[in-house]
Amino acid sequence: MKLFRRLRALFGKEQLYQQLSDEMTFHLEKQTEQNIAMGMRPEEARYAALRKFGGVEQVKEECRDAWGVNFIQSTIQDVSYGVRMLRKNLGVTVVAVISLALGIGANTAMFSVTNVMLLRALPVRNPQQLVEFIRRDPDGSMMTNLPYAVFEHLRKNTSVLSGVFAFTSDTRILRSGAGSEPLTIHEVSGSFFPTLGVNPLLGRAIDSADDRPDAEHQVVGLTYSFWSSQFGRDPSVVGATVRLNGAPSTVIGVMPPDFFGVDRSRTPGMWAPLASDPNPDEVWVLGRLKPGVSIPRARAQLEPQFHQALESLSDSTKNWPAGERDRFLGEKLVVQSATTGTSGMRWEYWEYSNTLRILMGMTGLVLLISCVNVANLLMARSAARSREIGIRLAIGAGRLRIVRQLLTENLIMALLGGVIGLLVAAWGHRVLVAFLVGNLQGVPLSFRLDERVLGFSLALSILTGLVSGVLPALRAGSRDLVAAIRDNLQLRGPTRLPFARKLLALQVALSLTLLIGAGLFVRSLRNLGSTDLGLARENLVLMKVDPSPSKSLRDPRRFWNQVVERIGALPGVRSVSIGGDAVFGNGGWNNGISVRQPDGTERQSQVAFNVVGPGFFYTVGIPLVAGREFGVMDQANAPRVAVVNQAFVRKFLGDDNPVGKRFGNAGAGSSSQIEIVGVIGDARYGDLREQPSPMFYLPVLQNLDNRLYEVHVRTAGNSAAVIAAMRREIQAMDPDISVYDVRTIKEVINGLLQHDRMFAVLASVFGILALLLTSIGIYGVMAYEITRRTGEVGIRMALGARRGDVLWMFMRETLLVLAAGAALGLPAALASAHVLRTLLFGLDPSDPVTLVWAMATLAIAGALAALLPARRATKVEPMVALRYE
Amino acid sequence: MVSGYQVYVSPGIVKSELRSIMGKSIDLLQGTLDLLILKTLALEPMHGWGISQRIQQISQDSLQVQQGSLYPALHRLELQGWIDSEWGASDNNRKAKYYRLTDSGRKQLEVETAKWERLSSAVAQILATA
Repeated sequence: MKLFRRLRALFGKEQLYQQLSDEMTFHLEKQTEQNIAMGMRPEEARYAALRKFGGVEQVKEECRDAWGVNFIQSTIQDVSYGVRMLRKNLGVTVVAVISLALGIGANTAMFSVTNVMLLRALPVRNPQQLVEFIRRDPDGSMMTNLPYAVFEHLRKNTSVLSGVFAFTSDTRILRSGAGSEPLTIHEVSGSFFPTLGVNPLLGRAIDSADDRPDAEHQVVGLTYSFWSSQFGRDPSVVGATVRLNGAPSTVIGVMPPDFFGVDRSRTPGMWAPLASDPNPDEVWVLGRLKPGVSIPRARAQLEPQFHQALESLSDSTKNWPAGERDRFLGEKLVVQSATTGTSGMRWEYWEYSNTLRILMGMTGLVLLISCVNVANLLMARSAARSREIGIRLAIGAGRLRIVRQLLTENLIMALLGGVIGLLVAAWGHRVLVAFLVGNLQGVPLSFRLDERVLGFSLALSILTGLVSGVLPALRAGSRDLVAAIRDNLQLRGPTRLPFARKLLALQVALSLTLLIGAGLFVRSLRNLGSTDLGLARENLVLMKVDPSPSKSLRDPRRFWNQVVERIGALPGVRSVSIGGDAVFGNGGWNNGISVRQPDGTERQSQVAFNVVGPGFFYTVGIPLVAGREFGVMDQANAPRVAVVNQAFVRKFLGDDNPVGKRFGNAGAGSSSQIEIVGVIGDARYGDLREQPSPMFYLPVLQNLDNRLYEVHVRTAGNSAAVIAAMRREIQAMDPDISVYDVRTIKEVINGLLQHDRMFAVLASVFGILALLLTSIGIYGVMAYEITRRTGEVGIRMALGARRGDVLWMFMRETLLVLAAGAALGLPAALASAHVLRTLLFGLDPSDPVTLVWAMATLAIAGALAALLPARRATKVEPMVALRYE
Repeated sequence: MVSGYQVYVSPGIVKSELRSIMGKSIDLLQGTLDLLILKTLALEPMHGWGISQRIQQISQDSLQVQQGSLYPALHRLELQGWIDSEWGASDNNRKAKYYRLTDSGRKQLEVETAKWERLSSAVAQILATA
């Protein structure tokens, strides 16, 4: 009610003031009458009445205050005045708003990415009730994949859980028009969709009736993104048939656009019932807590059932090595909140989190620099307005009032900056996500302007406005009144800029940090890109060929021989070979081997290996150091042979000639089954950064148990045409063969460098931005100073100073600022560069070349920025300068 | 009130000098003026001039409200909703703003009266034992 009356008073302001006047008038008249009745003369009576009353205007003011209208009114006044002032100084306003927009926008983009990656709840019913079940080893490592038996046991519980569901990820080959392609499918239990509480967009969702091993028809549900990209949002897809792994399935529905399942790291193309998987060993298990049940309580209740499940599996683990079996049976249940879903990428998120932290550090620096820039601009502007402010102070405005008004102006600018910053943020978000997850398809990370992002942007804008404005506002309100109003005397000129140099030095220090970071990333990227990989990068194409759905796999030897022949026969193909794992593939295989030492003992170790075809090393370009490559003689019934790399030799075989030596599989009883026939050079295998580790290679013809192999092809020139020909060639053999993931080594390496490239590009952009802002700051302050001291310059030159002396006088000040900034910034920069240690390749965080380069760039930019106005100063005629007002 | 002494009542902190046996001045509770206004209006609605006259009259001239301070108090009370105002014609047909007590104002009057009585009895006790 009070507020209502207040608002009414606010809107009826004029009437209120009039009524106040009337009230006072009435009172005074009555009192005057009374005085006259007591015998006073009319004027006396009036004066006596006024005296008795007190100050009329003061009373009116107090009454107005009582209504509390003042604050709102004065704020509105401030806003409209502020807008007028901003429009008057349009240049300063535009520069300030843009630099604020860039700073705020960059930070909002970072927050938005974090929001999408880590914070946003699943678009399902009551996501805060969702939990996921994880098992923890006695030694602390956590795994999200649980044995299927655990799911069966947990789903029986009805005391703390209102629903349990499980899913697993699988890749099936989808037969489409052009050929066959692998597709990620999530196989879900019948309780998946009902427990989550999601309604399909079209058709129906998979339920428990579909999730039976003996179900008549196989069914699948589509994700919205898959439906868009593959079926062009055609609603008639419901009821259509698709071929997966050669078998038909019916499409029963399409899910809404927001819903991507519960796995944040990947959106599948389709959902299928869990029962359609013949072998669901391990699944993700999630559940929904009953209302009011806490996570610790749920854990306590469910732990016994978890252990029962493990016990029920103890029979099947009888043959495991003792250590592993104990570890398995000693696992504990962990229950974690799954409001934002689960993620296969979870443990990589630590890497992401570090990335995000570093990026946030950089954007924070940029924001700080733009705040300091704006503060400097504002100081200059308020120095120019010192007369106006002085007058306002003199006629009675409180200091607080002035400060409030200036802060309001600043907040308006900051809010404007924030609004424009949202545009910057949307664009920045897309760029960031493209960099961060460039290689992964289907990760649901699009920009969403939800209340969190908006709130963050608003809060940051207000904070920025206050931080950048408080110092200038406080300074402005504390001016010496007399000096402020007094007109600019000849020699005095406009007032000094307080703090300008200190703020500039601060900007220089911050910019130095960013520039050093940029330099380090750029050099690191170059190092990575040009590092010797041990193989030949040019024109090397890889592709995955999976013949499993077709009939060709009945005679794999013949099949692969044919593949190699047919591709080798194509024009433009220099050589071709196959390998089980690609060069720069996804990790490789390990096996235990046993090597006899010179002293007779057996040394056992886990070593990485690969299975490759004849001519592999020639195709890939790894040099042969000793012995020979695999050839057609290394058949199934020939003696078992292997090729090893130099690291292997160094680690296991010492200095003797390794060709002819033998080793064996660990645990097979013999350490001399396999003869080494060749040694190749060390090549990087999984990671550009790591040192090559020991590896051995086995001939594919003696180890043909994979279903899919990677075909490595060295082409003669541009690969694009040859690639199309190769595809046709293979599909011609059988259309059910799937050929996919065709890439060149160059593309793969580029992909591996994605992260580093992101850092290099972003740091460079931020560094250039910082440099620009600082240069503008230096230019502005120098120009102002020169204008202020024009009179002084005139006197000096009249007394005989040369142009060069005047120039040096101004430049010296700038160089001082730069030096101070460098002294301040260098230790800070080195400290923060230390954080980047793990990301850099081939150089130290305190790399001297980078430091020198960064400082030189800053010095040159700063000197140039100061030179321009300084030169102008020297061109002024002394007589003009002396008369300058 | 102690007779013979003039007590000036102004808004905010109300100071009165009571030359009691102890000879020190005390600060009366804020809102004493509000209390007086509410009490005056409990009898009948009146305009600001009338209120100041009435307070003077009833206290037999020992309470002279500084007239200017009355109006901010009146407006504050109106904002709180304890009194209501209306423009009407005065006795000689001039436009005057009349105030009257509302229901919530009546309740507030009881609350403030009780507070005042507690305070004054406490003071009286202190005086009695001194």
